[in-house]
Amino acid sequence: MQLSCKYQYMTPRAAVYFLIILLSATFSSAQESPYFVTYDHHMEEPGNLEVETFSTVGVPRSGPRAYFAPYVEMEYGVTAKWTSELYLEAQSTHGDSTVFTGWRLENRYRPLSREHWINPVLYLEYENLNEASRIQKEIVGSGPEFAEPNSELRPTRAHELETKLILSSNTHDWNLAETFTVEKNLSQNEGFEFGYSFAFSRPLGTLASGKQCRFCRENFAAGAEFYGGLGSTNGFGVRGNPHYLAPVIVWQISDNASLHFSPGFGLNHESNRVLFRFGYSYEIRGFGSRMARLFGAKL
Amino acid sequence: MRAAFTVLLCLVSMSIAQNYEYKPDPNWRAPDSAVSRPNPLASRPEATPGGKKLFLRNCVECHGQEGTGVVKKHAADLQLPAVQQQTDGILFWKITNGNPDRGMPSFSKLPDLQRWQIVLFLRTLPFQSSGSK
Repeated sequence: MQLSCKYQYMTPRAAVYFLIILLSATFSSAQESPYFVTYDHHMEEPGNLEVETFSTVGVPRSGPRAYFAPYVEMEYGVTAKWTSELYLEAQSTHGDSTVFTGWRLENRYRPLSREHWINPVLYLEYENLNEASRIQKEIVGSGPEFAEPNSELRPTRAHELETKLILSSNTHDWNLAETFTVEKNLSQNEGFEFGYSFAFSRPLGTLASGKQCRFCRENFAAGAEFYGGLGSTNGFGVRGNPHYLAPVIVWQISDNASLHFSPGFGLNHESNRVLFRFGYSYEIRGFGSRMARLFGAKL
Repeated sequence: MRAAFTVLLCLVSMSIAQNYEYKPDPNWRAPDSAVSRPNPLASRPEATPGGKKLFLRNCVECHGQEGTGVVKKHAADLQLPAVQQQTDGILFWKITNGNPDRGMPSFSKLPDLQRWQIVLFLRTLPFQSSGSK
């Protein structure tokens, strides 16, 4: 699906309205993870739907032009141990075009019922994308293709299966999380591609104040992510693949909404110079029961 | 349009997949090491309002404003002796670990002190001598 629009910048008035809407939401938080790439072991609460809109703005080192890759993510807590997500993504390159790049369906399952020193989560995702995809929700192999124009990348579709092993720990209010990613392109014989990420974060305030406040430290969490590609079965390793170091911060602006921001810095020549990531998420509580009632279930 | 239909289909199928049946789980027991853990905020009643705020934020969806449990969510009545007679350490352990097999999520994403604040608040709920949901 080719979208014909060019860049649409937000006018100052629209930006003010947007901020008013954000700030008029009710106060305080549900402790969202600040990570963009790494997953931790905290699942979506059962029956809740989290609608998230995230964007990646990439500034390549030379040659290729800057791009803007937004995506919408709908995360649903099927059970307390199983979270399912649907992604719709697009991409716009400066001086090129804006294209819809595909969709993904992801499932995360937490096999252990109790908190442990290390909490594993199993992850399986199906991706129906084209080669113009640049959201870089994960980086595998040697990363996405930047040199070709969208018109050449868009016709090449890829059906991909991706699995991750997520290991996450909570200790002394810190969260430490690691993911190891394996991806297989079912449309082409590229072998298996690999990626990794490590992350840590901590809330800035650990005691909740009794008053409603928007700028309290308890509403912020910060940390850092380190992620990149590890090549493929045709050539495994860290060399020749992109790697990023990215501070992350999340601000719970209301009871069910949060703002996320992360500037990621490329660590080698294969990386973009910088990846700015930002997003807004909104949680709809009790979505599952509302939908079930809508379809006639007696609850 | 096709993508929108796919989204709707996925969401509907996922919501129908939920299990709304709730039965108290006799196997949901805290280990001995957790039972005797004291609440580090026990001597700080000024932390209770923060616990109330956290409760309203995280627990009301299933346990209700008064903690009596939302019937259709099959959630426990937190005012019952069966809950209130549990030690602070047990309540903290249950909030931390949840009981995912029975629909209670883990709240380990909250900092330790905030979970203890919720325990503080639970102690302020009216104590019911009998009755159940």
